[in-house]
Amino acid sequence: MSGKQRARSFSVHLILIAYSLLAVGPILLVVMNSFKMRSAIFGAPLAPPDATTFSLIGYQKVFRTAHILTYYSNSLIVTLVSMALVLLFGAMAAWALTEYRFRGSTALALFLSIGIMVPIRLGSVAILNMMRSAGLNDTLTALILVYVAQGLPMSIFILSEFIQQIPKDLRDAARCDGVPEIRIFFEVVAPLLRPAIATVAVFTIVPIWNDLWFPLILTSSDTTHTVTLGVQQFLGQYITDWNSVLAALSMAILPVVVIYVILSRQLIAGLTSGAVK
Amino acid sequence: MANLRIEHLNKRYGATKVLNDINLNIEDGEFVVLVGPSGCGKSTLLRMIAGLDGASGGDIHIAGKLVNALAPAERGIAMVFQSYALYPHMNVRKNMTFGLKFTGVPPTERERRVAEAARMLRLEELLDRYPRDLSGGQRQRVAIGRAIVREPAVFLFDEPLSNLDAALRVSTRVEIANLHRMLKSTIVYVTHDQVEAMTLADRIVVMNRGCIEQVGRPLDLYYAPANLFVAGFIGSPAMNFFEAKVERVESGCARVAGAGFRSFELSAPSLEVGDLLTVGVRPEHLGRGADGPFAVEGVVELVERLGESSFAYLRRADNRLFVAEVRGRQTPTPGERATLVAGARDVHVFDASGLRVSTQNEA
Amino acid sequence: MPEPVSNIISQMPRLRLAALLLFFLGPALAVYSLFSIYPLVATMALSTYTSDPSGARHFIGIANFQALLGDALWSKPFWNAFRNNLIFFAVHMCVQNPIGIALAGLLSLPGLRLKGFYRTVMFLPTMLSVVIVGFSWNLILSPLWGVAAGALKTVCLGSLFAPWLGLESSALVTLSLISVWQFVGIPMMLIYAALLNIPDELIDAARVDGLGHFRIFLHIKLPLVLPTISLVSILTFVANFNAFDLIYSVKGALAGPNFATDILGTFFYRTFFGNQLQLGNPTMGAAVATIMFFIILVGLCLYLVLVQRRIRRYAF
Repeated sequence: MSGKQRARSFSVHLILIAYSLLAVGPILLVVMNSFKMRSAIFGAPLAPPDATTFSLIGYQKVFRTAHILTYYSNSLIVTLVSMALVLLFGAMAAWALTEYRFRGSTALALFLSIGIMVPIRLGSVAILNMMRSAGLNDTLTALILVYVAQGLPMSIFILSEFIQQIPKDLRDAARCDGVPEIRIFFEVVAPLLRPAIATVAVFTIVPIWNDLWFPLILTSSDTTHTVTLGVQQFLGQYITDWNSVLAALSMAILPVVVIYVILSRQLIAGLTSGAVK
Repeated sequence: MANLRIEHLNKRYGATKVLNDINLNIEDGEFVVLVGPSGCGKSTLLRMIAGLDGASGGDIHIAGKLVNALAPAERGIAMVFQSYALYPHMNVRKNMTFGLKFTGVPPTERERRVAEAARMLRLEELLDRYPRDLSGGQRQRVAIGRAIVREPAVFLFDEPLSNLDAALRVSTRVEIANLHRMLKSTIVYVTHDQVEAMTLADRIVVMNRGCIEQVGRPLDLYYAPANLFVAGFIGSPAMNFFEAKVERVESGCARVAGAGFRSFELSAPSLEVGDLLTVGVRPEHLGRGADGPFAVEGVVELVERLGESSFAYLRRADNRLFVAEVRGRQTPTPGERATLVAGARDVHVFDASGLRVSTQNEA
Repeated sequence: MPEPVSNIISQMPRLRLAALLLFFLGPALAVYSLFSIYPLVATMALSTYTSDPSGARHFIGIANFQALLGDALWSKPFWNAFRNNLIFFAVHMCVQNPIGIALAGLLSLPGLRLKGFYRTVMFLPTMLSVVIVGFSWNLILSPLWGVAAGALKTVCLGSLFAPWLGLESSALVTLSLISVWQFVGIPMMLIYAALLNIPDELIDAARVDGLGHFRIFLHIKLPLVLPTISLVSILTFVANFNAFDLIYSVKGALAGPNFATDILGTFFYRTFFGNQLQLGNPTMGAAVATIMFFIILVGLCLYLVLVQRRIRRYAF
């Protein structure tokens, strides 16, 4: 490597490191300070907690006053159930749209693409009315139904691309083998869609887990709040209690960060798989 | 085991005619190869026999039964795909038995068939492996095994060797020929490779632009092509063509003349003065010392040396190129002027519409 | 001639095909129509009604829209929110996308080490909830904590610090930049993916032609990923004109100070649900949602007609 190349490589890394610091710095700052005593938070905000400044008082308070575990389990239920249904229904619909030619299939694809571009949020007024009259307001079911409807169009779009990549010969071979259509989907096509799960997950799980709007308008009691809404409400109430606020923020951040770091390779592979062009 | 009869089969995609009035009879146990340039409709014909593509008109009978309305699985066929189409998430054994589950074959019978096919194709060691762990040749054998266990009336092969490298292609070709000898089953085999067609087929079906150009035994196609297309398609390098005209007719004997070659006599009673003809001679039939009515002169421009023989590209008097195969160690040198001669049996004559003119010379 | 869909279907009896389609498409279509399309349509229908104090609804045609666009009581906050939203979008387009493109370009440099690490770290904020991000920045920029002021002081720019989020003049741009900080990962990743799709041979050919990395990026890579950049732009547009969470969690429904950070999403929420200052008005809320729908629709159409059709896509 010549000196010039070395200098260029060095400056590229310098830029990337600087931006990386900008990206994680604020997150790190919040998490770090959540483990410190109040005086240390203000006295030396940039210093990591040490033996003299370490404190869990914020966390204790959050656990005492907020139903944080309920929020977590609500978020988990809503996200996982929605994700499963989006994948199942989405893959089935994508299969029918890519594999079977029928009158109106183009119109149907167009109909579905409305949902990719137009945010379902704009229908909130009617959604709330519907859920109220169906007796579903303030339930997790209401959230799940809305999230499935929200996630389906994009997942159908992504899964269609994946299904098209499955060699046509494979389905023809299954037909020559006498496999019934429904089992061709479930036993030949569906198992091959596993790599698509990561991509669909990025586009459905993340927005669902992080959503504030629908929990805000569809749930009203503590027992149905999700993490995002629960923490948001908690923050509003305890805005002057810095220990608790930082602890609550960290508790919302940490699980996502941990899961993200574990799965980041798959998630990014899913994102860059070329399914979205 | 069964025969296959195709009558007036048509296929259109919108306004495009892909297959045009195909009629074909395939006998029980016959190995038939469909060959033709890409886009000629040979794969479509195979897929229609399989039931994967629907017909726009016409009938397909397998074992005497009309199968037009039957699903692929009900037709008694098995297909080997170009891409092998092995289920990637199932091991070899599962790949072979998967289809049998749905056609009501009992488990013990499935096992027996898999064991037999595995023995025949030397797959015993591979039964628990997944397709991703197999080489191209092994995948090919699994694909054939999956077809065998179905015990079909007709085997359909869609360019099965085109994804293999050259050496493997030759050995697999031999294996397929052996397999046909053992199973004695009816096989329809699609390829664009004429060597595969010539070596494997009992009969070859040459297709072009959705039509059948000629059906016949390999050597019949080679020695007596029915038309210009078949003449040009079969054989490598391709046959040389010379434009010609009938100059004179005397008691069933026509004098044929054209630019670039010496005029010669041809005993063809059907010809009349002024008929436009195409004379075809294969490069391997043009020789220096040979004796015959057809003689062409040219200047050697380029020589391709293959080892056992060489191809010489010569420029004729009318400034076009023709090819001659020269056997032996001595190769022509560029710039050399040569007169090449072909025997009467090796001169093919086609009329203005491209059809073979029968001549007494052949007899 | 390959057919896009299996031909076998054309031979299938009608009834069987219908049953199959119902089985495969039924669940998705049911949920989607009922909870996505129907609410959108119902909301639009609702926007032509008004409710009297007894709760009964009356059809009033386009009166809600006339009020929103013309009646000062409604139109002043509406146009304010619209203008703010445009600024919000402009900041994203001018800051988020160029940074995203630049980072993607750097990440796709051949032979770059620690690529995976950078990618992971830089995409991290995008994974977090807007609420959490907004609140964290709220704390960091707060004069009470003094982290931002301290950081500026260490680089001798202490005098530049101001409570940006609290000032009418800077609150909106600050919030926009927080949003940019969070979402820069999306253009970065999409463009990065598009850059990876460019065949190496093409880049090698350009290098043989004597182009440096920067020129290759400018003259070869950038034109080839233009479709992705335009896609990113329209995604940004839709997301921005639908944004809500960030403003709501940092500034509350009133989008202070003095509505300086009010955008269409918060205006919609306030109109629909009400707040300390006014009662909720679902029909007027529906009208706001309908207008937002049309804004997004107009943007999409402009994109499809003006951009999408003119951009040439290259097959590799």
